[in-house]
Amino acid sequence: MLWYKAWLETRARFLTLLATVTAVCGFFIYHAQGDMLPGWRLERDFDRLLLINQQILVFLWIFGVVLLGMGGIVREKAIGTSSLTLALPVSRARLVGIRVGLGIIEAIALGVVPWTAVFIVSSLAGMPILITQVGLYLLLLVGGGLVYFAAAVLVSSLVSGEYTAPCVAFGAILLPTILSDAYLPLCLNNRRLVTGSFSVDTITFLVSGHLPWLGILASLFAAVLLLWASILVVQWREF
Amino acid sequence: MLYLNSTTVYRQMSFRLTPTAGQPLYLQLMQQIRHAAETGALQDGDQLPGIRTLAEELVVSPNTVVKAYSELEHEGLLELRPGSGAFVCVKRRTQSLASHVQVARRRMRDIIDQLREDGLLDEEIRRAFEAELICSVEIVGKR
Amino acid sequence: MTNEPAIFTHALAKSYGSAEAVRRLNLSVGRNRITAFLGRNGAGKSTTIKMLLGLIRPSSGEGTVLGKRIADPEENREMRRRVAFVAEDKPLYGYMTVEQIIRFARSFYPDWRIDVERTLLRDYDLPAHRKVATLSKGMRTKLALLLAFARRPELLILDEPSEGLDPVGIESLLQTLVSQSADGVTVFFSSHQIAEVERVADHVCILEQGCLRLDASLDSLRELYRRIDLVFAFPPPEREFQISGVERIRTKGRQMSLFVSGNAEAVTERAHNLNASSVEVAPVGLREIFLETVREN
Repeated sequence: MLWYKAWLETRARFLTLLATVTAVCGFFIYHAQGDMLPGWRLERDFDRLLLINQQILVFLWIFGVVLLGMGGIVREKAIGTSSLTLALPVSRARLVGIRVGLGIIEAIALGVVPWTAVFIVSSLAGMPILITQVGLYLLLLVGGGLVYFAAAVLVSSLVSGEYTAPCVAFGAILLPTILSDAYLPLCLNNRRLVTGSFSVDTITFLVSGHLPWLGILASLFAAVLLLWASILVVQWREF
Repeated sequence: MLYLNSTTVYRQMSFRLTPTAGQPLYLQLMQQIRHAAETGALQDGDQLPGIRTLAEELVVSPNTVVKAYSELEHEGLLELRPGSGAFVCVKRRTQSLASHVQVARRRMRDIIDQLREDGLLDEEIRRAFEAELICSVEIVGKR
Repeated sequence: MTNEPAIFTHALAKSYGSAEAVRRLNLSVGRNRITAFLGRNGAGKSTTIKMLLGLIRPSSGEGTVLGKRIADPEENREMRRRVAFVAEDKPLYGYMTVEQIIRFARSFYPDWRIDVERTLLRDYDLPAHRKVATLSKGMRTKLALLLAFARRPELLILDEPSEGLDPVGIESLLQTLVSQSADGVTVFFSSHQIAEVERVADHVCILEQGCLRLDASLDSLRELYRRIDLVFAFPPPEREFQISGVERIRTKGRQMSLFVSGNAEAVTERAHNLNASSVEVAPVGLREIFLETVREN
């Protein structure tokens, strides 16, 4: 019943985030026509809107998965329930693993549901939205974005404060982002990867099938390393 | 009083154990059971409560009851039948012992009455007895 | 049923920097009995218990619980399946209801007893659908204890179980401990309620400043420990009484009070030989034994 416990712990956060992000994206697309800049023509430039939608979504999504990555046994120690959880006949790796597993499912849902809403709204309005585009954007989001979730999980296993942990997590994500924007070559910039900047055709604004697979794999690999580090930290810590 | 069958009677006994009396609880329980047998409160064939029941009632460790019952079984006062419980066996020897004890207690009552008349308080009498008992144990040991 | 101790430690120690919380602890808790773990606040009881359950790593030394090594995470996890533990702060998940948390706990242990769960739920008068966070402190304590008592583990470890309970609750707690013990559960609990410990415990371990100062059965304590009050007509000869068993001598004027952990007969004999004008021997309760034990330097 550890999945159930993790669900009870993240349920409120998750549903609130889901509703908010879906509403924002749906709202944005719904009013797409009215937001068109002068000179944009609907058919061609609709895909530009989708790109903007992805950028909005990425921003909100990263915010959301950082919050979803909070919690865990270290936070339980601050609340006072860690003696109960750690006395269970369950390994610490499993405790972290289940929390992370549910978090990943929630993170994926946090991308899928808003994009689905966008797809439905656009289709109903007769906009030229392709489901393959939605799929590709999702792949970029989750493939490149889980590393942010993993960073949040690692921070939450090191910092226990209810407000300090998310702040440190945001800082831990913001700093490398700013630094990579400023100093790293463009191709190593994960943020650009996630928002689709690398994959979008500059003329058609369609996401091409040639996704930056290497970048996605590197990002996922980094996520795995961070999660593995979180498990090690939790195993090493004393409660 | 519960009649389990026509010959055995489950006795409701009330024991009181004092953790601070300087005597192991199982010894106190043994003494009280013996006393009950001597005075007739427990008769041959009566059944004592099971270990768990008595322990829960007295709020005392089951090991105390186990020790008391098994020592008394060793002495012959109790018969432990697995699955049924502890049954009292008051033999003639015990009955004659009972009368010895009754005589002794009458003697002690006389002594105590005298000591009280001499002006000693009960607590002083008790402590004097304890000291003398320890002394006499030592002397007996030397013999 | 094995004869190995339920809990065994050898030179177990824990330091935080230069502060030694537990020092070279050699604990041996026998099976099928009720053992009480006494000590002042900060003596190291909770630290010891946490080391046993794998929440804290020992700085040195080793230990086993139910034969499994405490320092090995996998063995410790296997052992925890057969151990029921309630921490001092009676932790519960506030966001779950009473019924949810019981279902949660039940799912981990094959030794769960539904009948006991139902009985205790009724006896403790716990509302099944209320969130734990909204319960009173006393109810939370009872619920935390229920999660351990509705099982038949091999070992029950309780850290200050009576804290937060009123006298009726404490009585009920003691009866439950007795009942668990009668079922063959080894009980190991720490407590400040010395009177309660004295009633139900078979064995007592006293911890002070991280060291085990006393490890004895209560029956032997009752048989051996005595307070001997002597009065002499002349200044009492303390030197004459430095014999084995004498733990502490206090002299006031012509009165001498000895606290002995055994050998009372030898002391009284010597007192008589030295012409003491009054020799009184009295039993010593666990409270006094505890206070004298932890006051020693």
